[in-house]
Amino acid sequence: MNAFDQGVFSTSADVGGALLQSIKLPCSAMVRDIFLLRAFEAGADGVVVIGCPQGKCQRIDGNIRAGKRVAWVQKLLSEIGLDGRRLVFAGSDTVDLAIANLLKDMMLLGLSPVKKETGISK
Amino acid sequence: MKTGGQSRLKETLAGGGFAVTAECGPPRGANADAIHKKGDLLKGFVDAVNVTDNQTAVVRMSSLAACVHLLEMGIEPVMQMVTRDRNRIALQSDILGAYSLGIRNVLCLSGDHQSLGSQPEAMNVFDIDSVNLLHAVHVMRHEGKDMSGFTLNVAPDMFIGAAENPFADPLAYRVVRLAKKIAAGADFIQTQCVYNLPRFKEWIRLAREEGLTDKIYILAGITPLKSAKMARFMATKVAGMDMPEEIIKRMSAVAGPKATEEGLKIALETIAELRNIPGVRGIHIMAIEAEEKVPELVKAAGLLPHPQR
Amino acid sequence: MIVAKQKPIAELKEMVRPYQKLLVLGCGTCVKTCFAGGEDEVATLASALRLAFGQEGKSIKTEELTVERQCEDAFIQEAAQAVNRNEAVLSLACGAGVQAIARRFGKAVILPGVNTTFIGVLEKPGLFTEECAGCGDCELDTFGGICPVTRCSKRLMNGPCGGSKNGKCEVSPDIECAWQLIIDRLTALGQLDNLKRYIPAKDWRSSLSGGPRRLIREDHVI
Repeated sequence: MNAFDQGVFSTSADVGGALLQSIKLPCSAMVRDIFLLRAFEAGADGVVVIGCPQGKCQRIDGNIRAGKRVAWVQKLLSEIGLDGRRLVFAGSDTVDLAIANLLKDMMLLGLSPVKKETGISK
Repeated sequence: MKTGGQSRLKETLAGGGFAVTAECGPPRGANADAIHKKGDLLKGFVDAVNVTDNQTAVVRMSSLAACVHLLEMGIEPVMQMVTRDRNRIALQSDILGAYSLGIRNVLCLSGDHQSLGSQPEAMNVFDIDSVNLLHAVHVMRHEGKDMSGFTLNVAPDMFIGAAENPFADPLAYRVVRLAKKIAAGADFIQTQCVYNLPRFKEWIRLAREEGLTDKIYILAGITPLKSAKMARFMATKVAGMDMPEEIIKRMSAVAGPKATEEGLKIALETIAELRNIPGVRGIHIMAIEAEEKVPELVKAAGLLPHPQR
Repeated sequence: MIVAKQKPIAELKEMVRPYQKLLVLGCGTCVKTCFAGGEDEVATLASALRLAFGQEGKSIKTEELTVERQCEDAFIQEAAQAVNRNEAVLSLACGAGVQAIARRFGKAVILPGVNTTFIGVLEKPGLFTEECAGCGDCELDTFGGICPVTRCSKRLMNGPCGGSKNGKCEVSPDIECAWQLIIDRLTALGQLDNLKRYIPAKDWRSSLSGGPRRLIREDHVI
């Protein structure tokens, strides 16, 4: 999420008591594979990477690179045994929908099998 | 079994005759009967029979062994050798062994890549290429020496063949490559099967211009089509094949047993045209798993009686 | 550069399973450039392994370290203490580096984390291609700078073969026919005559076929 412009992250999606934590970066392309994995190590059950809307990257192709990196890590997560669907990429114009869909998937997938404290109540 | 004596194929061509050769694929097993059956179909209709060497990189009875089975039936074989599976030591060794057993013709090829065959996990050899091989056999014959310069205890006097594909790219360079093979020692060429006559004529015209048709015997490849499906398969799945749309259309226009007839008709038309092209000294019939068609084709093409020795 | 690809997680997981304390050791040269074993990849892989075991309910202790090159003793030395305090080393270096580590730290368990494949170049972002087979007797001057030993699937010296069609190799439509490239290049250079002469069988003694090779520079031996 482009933190310099958008301030604090918020969503109108019904997260039903799930704990939301956000991390801000100057550009979605600055997301590195390790950040995403560490999020899961820290106990996240799902991760959303938010970038500029398609075709509107403020840094030319940052959101494209971020999208590819997220796809790579999704594959890695599946190979690890954590379902790749726990990680999604969304443009800032479709965040609410992306989070709603992710939560739906997470209902099916359940809590992350990596045993840590943070959890979803439903 | 014949030992000693010259290649009958060579004698036919040298005597000005129009040669006819066919092909025999060894079985995927140790069954010599499979060779006998094919040999029985071809005997008396052709000057020589090519025996393929693990064709399409699929494990089959060795070419050398299958050639010996044919010799025992009184049929003259052309032993095909690919450089994919054996290094120069083994190849030279097999040439010597083959000659000692009565084999007089060898066709030098690179071979289809093993990734396309039954053992894609195998390491390939390609120690030398087909041009190196035919040069080596040429030196064996003319200088009586092997590749290390050692004087051989009886040099193999082999009639040396190579393959050329007038339909592969790039066209102009194909003629350069033909010249190279002739210079390296090839005595005869068998081409990929001809469906695209204009392209074939263009290739041989270029060869003629370079004076190459006087220096080498060219046998044009013929494969009678059995069905439209076969035509389409060859058009898309076989490397280096040139199958014109009109041929596929002709085959598609007829069905069932009529298709085989049409395929034979196309083959006969092609042979008739080929016989009129200066530089073409014979045909090489590749009737894949349809050796029973060869006698019919040879007869209908008016190529009988065939010189019998 | 030497190009390598990280082994699949499933394979690595089984390889490191017997060990509770694992050093994931990266290399900052070739494998970094092809995204297989540099510092970033070390971090990602260590995390992936922790997650992989974590979701089984097991834990593994990983240490992460990257040295400049694992093929030179001066750099390998830096890892000595880290190697000693772990039960095994998962080296992300190419095969040469893995062996150098194993040679240097004879009593340590050294495991290969990548599959080393070829000597190649970065043809365009994200695409690495094989260019050199290390035959030991370079003839690129004859072939206009395109190597038939490496790039022709059949290593032909007098190519092309009959399977070349539309500039592609019979093995795969992704592989360009090296001989088409050579012919085109030499034609453009006005050097097609290079191919008209007979090119003899290659002498493979200088290649791996002649046995593992060595190079000694007397002027540098002290």
